[in-house]
Amino acid sequence: MNAVQTFKLTKEFDGLLAVNGVDLEIKKGELFSLLGPNGAGKTTTIRMLCCLLKPSKGTAAIMGYDVVKTPFAVKNLIGVSPQDTILSERLNCWENLALIGKVHGLSSDRVVRRSKELLETMGLMERSKDQVRKFSGGMKRRLSIAMALISDPQVLFLDEPTLGLDPQARRTIWEYIAQLKGKKTILLTTHYMEEADFLSDQIGIIDEGRVVALGTSQELKTGLLEMRSMVVSTENLTAKVMEDLHSKYSRLEMVKEKLRISHKDLDFKEIVDYLHSRGVTVYSATLDQPTLEDVFIQITGKELRD
Amino acid sequence: MKFWEIGKRNLKEIYRNPVLLGFLLGMPIAFMLVFVAATSGGQASLIALSVADEDGSQTSSTFIQYMGSVDAIELNEPIYSKESQAQEDLENGKISFYLFIPSGFEEAKQVQQTINLELVYKAADPMLGLQLKPIIEAVGSEFLGVAPPLNVELKGTESKIKNPAVNFYAPGIVVFGLMILISTAAEIIAGDREKGFLARMFTTPARPWDFILGYSLPFIPVLIISTFIYLGVGMALGLTVVGNLGHAFLIFFLIGLCAIGIGMIVGSLVKSESQAGVSWIFIVPIAMISGTMFTVEFMPSALRSVAGALPFIHAVDASRAILNGSPFSAIILDIYWLVGWAAILFAVGIILFRRTMVS
Repeated sequence: MNAVQTFKLTKEFDGLLAVNGVDLEIKKGELFSLLGPNGAGKTTTIRMLCCLLKPSKGTAAIMGYDVVKTPFAVKNLIGVSPQDTILSERLNCWENLALIGKVHGLSSDRVVRRSKELLETMGLMERSKDQVRKFSGGMKRRLSIAMALISDPQVLFLDEPTLGLDPQARRTIWEYIAQLKGKKTILLTTHYMEEADFLSDQIGIIDEGRVVALGTSQELKTGLLEMRSMVVSTENLTAKVMEDLHSKYSRLEMVKEKLRISHKDLDFKEIVDYLHSRGVTVYSATLDQPTLEDVFIQITGKELRD
Repeated sequence: MKFWEIGKRNLKEIYRNPVLLGFLLGMPIAFMLVFVAATSGGQASLIALSVADEDGSQTSSTFIQYMGSVDAIELNEPIYSKESQAQEDLENGKISFYLFIPSGFEEAKQVQQTINLELVYKAADPMLGLQLKPIIEAVGSEFLGVAPPLNVELKGTESKIKNPAVNFYAPGIVVFGLMILISTAAEIIAGDREKGFLARMFTTPARPWDFILGYSLPFIPVLIISTFIYLGVGMALGLTVVGNLGHAFLIFFLIGLCAIGIGMIVGSLVKSESQAGVSWIFIVPIAMISGTMFTVEFMPSALRSVAGALPFIHAVDASRAILNGSPFSAIILDIYWLVGWAAILFAVGIILFRRTMVS
């Protein structure tokens, strides 16, 4: 049984398809990232999985429980850290954690034990008795994730957990999320490529409400990109050599005085040998690793912006 | 007991918010101080005048008709033939004051002796007496001619009340203070919805009734503590509790429930915390026409009818009457009115709040 399973999940708002027939299968203990630009349908998908929105069509189940038919069974199994850092601003860390923990039915002892663990893990113990309205954005995010974890949920939803944070705070959150990998099933939404790349076991690229690609980061990069690229730093590059290369490889371009060659089934050694044979001095030659950005652009035809 | 956790959180959000507390406690107390300090009232525009005529003569009858013909005065029917009847109605809150014409009125006019009239009012409403006296004097002098000296004596009915001004203003301002719960409840509910806190809580296994209780019960201790504070300040300023304080608390509790119910309705209907601030658009006018700060005796009857249909004027009248010594039986209709309104407003508030959760 998958931890999260959706079948043709669809949400329509006044004729606008926000989510359009999404099929997801997330295994237990997997960290799955839903990657897409703003308005792609990531949050709407999560809101349906958290029982906050009823799907217009299709089904979704968490640990086998249908989100529409058995919402309270689902809510007992999940922890949610919403996109906007939503905390009770005039409560301190302990009180915020106790609120969510006790509403999940945890005993007072367990709440205190779990809160202590989480506050230490998240590095919030020192400020734990301060009202959270005085916290920085990064601290609030960490507390929000701790609140999602207080009930020890089987499935964790993290909606844009690092949105708007500076790189250092973002990196800190990644480290906390990375610690949870394998222990919890996590569905994370993000529009940061490097976040999905760094954290995910599986990535689903979502655009205009549809999941347009699914796989591991590597699978997406290698499997979906038709072309591979290499960058060569050279001297004595003649027009004749360029002409010869052009006739053989699909795309040639000069990028910062370096030659970038792109082609399906690109043969690194063959190119270097050819350049040597033509008397071209090769200072360096590297395979240009494709990024998720490349994958996204290739699939959707548009760029993914922060 | 999930509702208890939600309720505790809401209570903390209220008492840790100085702005909210400032409104809830500071404003009514400031009003109380200002109004107690003030002594003057405005000119009467329409006065419902009751008369107890123990003279029963042709002259007194003509005098009463003459009084009734004055634009600013509307005669209450019937004219009491015995002062004791008027006193009883005054005690029971049926009338606010009466003009007493003692026997010997006609004779005094004929022989041009000093004519003594009494304007009898609930001592807790001194503004009314002060405003009426010059009108009665002017009209009376005109009718009687200048020659016979006219003496209109202001006579309060309660001697136990030390400071009538405080006994008049304090109950009204307690009701006004409790009306602030409308905006407090509305802003908390609307704010939590706007910021997404309610949505976050909806992802937990809490049930709809946990939210309904969690968002209504915390206001009850706030209501009780506020009432204690308001009355405490009132007593410090000289409020004399002649009647049953428990009955007064019951009235304040019921009007507080009405305010919480309205707050839940407003909080469920508006989309944001700032929109919830619109509740002030009707809190202030309703407070004014309900007599929380001014006597409503001079208000046009149409406006009084509007106020009478709402619960607040009943709370003001009943609490003033109880604190000034009226028996519970005198305010029983007001209590029924308040219970009815509290039940309706709470029920509608719950329905709308639940609809918010579903949507």
